[in-house]
Amino acid sequence: MTQLDATQHQVDTAADDLDPADHQRQVLTQHRAARFARIEPKGKRVHTARERAELLFDEDTFVEMTPLRTAGTRPDGTPTGSGVVAGWGLVDGRPVVAICHDAAVASGAIGAVMADAIQAAQRFAIDRGYPIVYVNDSGGARVPDGIFALHGCGGIFALNVLAQQKIPQISLILGPCAGAAAYSPALTDWTIMVKGQGQMFLTGPDIVKAATGEDASAEDIGGSQVHTVTSGVAHLEVETEDEAFESTRLLLSFLPSRKGGRQTVQGAVPANPGAVERLPQIVPEKSSVVFDMNAVLDGVLDNGARLELMPEHAPSILTLFGRLDGRPVGVVANQPAARGGILDSKASVKLARFVEFCGRFDLPVLTFVDVPGFLPGTVEEGRGVITHGAKVLKAYVETTSPKLTVVVRKAFGGAYIAMGSASLGAHVTWAWSGSEIAVMGPGGAVALLNRRELAAADDPERLRTELAATYREEVARPYLAAEAGIVDDVIHPEETRDRMVRALRMLTAGESA
Amino acid sequence: MIEACADIVGNVWKITARVGDQVAKGDTVAVLESMKMEIPVVAPAGGHVSGILVELNQIVQEGDALVEIDPTASA
Repeated sequence: MTQLDATQHQVDTAADDLDPADHQRQVLTQHRAARFARIEPKGKRVHTARERAELLFDEDTFVEMTPLRTAGTRPDGTPTGSGVVAGWGLVDGRPVVAICHDAAVASGAIGAVMADAIQAAQRFAIDRGYPIVYVNDSGGARVPDGIFALHGCGGIFALNVLAQQKIPQISLILGPCAGAAAYSPALTDWTIMVKGQGQMFLTGPDIVKAATGEDASAEDIGGSQVHTVTSGVAHLEVETEDEAFESTRLLLSFLPSRKGGRQTVQGAVPANPGAVERLPQIVPEKSSVVFDMNAVLDGVLDNGARLELMPEHAPSILTLFGRLDGRPVGVVANQPAARGGILDSKASVKLARFVEFCGRFDLPVLTFVDVPGFLPGTVEEGRGVITHGAKVLKAYVETTSPKLTVVVRKAFGGAYIAMGSASLGAHVTWAWSGSEIAVMGPGGAVALLNRRELAAADDPERLRTELAATYREEVARPYLAAEAGIVDDVIHPEETRDRMVRALRMLTAGESA
Repeated sequence: MIEACADIVGNVWKITARVGDQVAKGDTVAVLESMKMEIPVVAPAGGHVSGILVELNQIVQEGDALVEIDPTASA
């Protein structure tokens, strides 16, 4: 700002000078002044589009692309701007491209010029191999631009899809985002919403009311609760814009800049010593009692930053980024503390999407298993659990990054296969010594296999307990799987970290060679 | 009035709350049996228990209310 004032001062004092160079300087100064003056925060927003870009990047590293580009002029002759602040900068020293909708220009509506400016930034990022952060705050396609706006939005989507196979893409939702501004995030990898401020919907309340008669607020239709809890459209809810940028920087810290790019390996940090000590006691003695899988992760992963995605949506599955031996890893785990750790349609979609992402960017996948099965019944079949469950199988099979799996307590039936089993290509698998692996749990198996004996028994409950104990020992114990070579080894809980670290070093040794 | 709801289909195995009990957010008010697991149903907010809406061994669907809690009576 001081630099701008100083330049302005020079121009004023040199106003009588007819030197053409000074004239050019004056014009440029006026353009720049108009460019910066027009951007103001509106409504609940705290920061302008440009300030948002600056907040995302390392200090003083943001460079705006085509800052003077404009879609038209205001009645007073000043340029409106293109409607987007796009450019590059550094995040923890690594180049990243940011594309920030400018809600101060026609509510961020995407016209032909704005779409072209966005696509130029997308192409730049794809060509260079830099991640893109989209800061979305737009009402969607700009109506007066008609078919040119639609064509431009379609072009953005096409580049979103092309970019999927090249670079990580992260979307922030910092205002009401309708139509095209909601679809582009859905084509990116991770979406972060600011509570009470960001919304995503195909159409807003007025059009919903007119189309179907439904009376609903913007927050009801597409608020962060809807999308991070119910729909799963967005993956993280944060309280403030600043927190959204912090989370984005943290997320990027786990990711390579591009597909095939170098992993962000840091110095190894030991697991939390207290958590390691508690590992043998975490799993409750009674197999039906729930526990918090995070306690297991604490005793295995590096004791450092983690980022859980989709914590509120389908919570029976945990998906998070963390580190093991200093190396960024994707962690998938059943969470017995939520719905028993089951797999269902939503959990399957969440899990498959996460594993597919890890595979695309060569992130190792660590799977911690305690799964009672796929949830059966009319509701789940109606939701298409077969199709969604199949996505999990496909994701694990197609993922070529290191896959390490440990059965913590139980792995039954199709869910055993789905949770990163050796059959789907896990590179190394282990089972904790107290775990059970079988086509079905002891209760169900005994009821099925011993139906006649149980019906004829004087004391069916006692017989059931005895048969279940025999089944557990003869069929479900993990040594059978290890003796058959289907799990690599049976281990004590406290050995898990060491086993995983050694396996990961072996599987990634080729990288530096 | 708020309700503690089943987050999975299952059989009502235990009802641990009684009408008049004070409960805090996250307290277990009932336990479902589903997938051979004991799945706790917890109070979404603190208050006093004003109604039990199900019976033991009743099958409930995901989203069904089990226990009614009056948050205004929170101690």
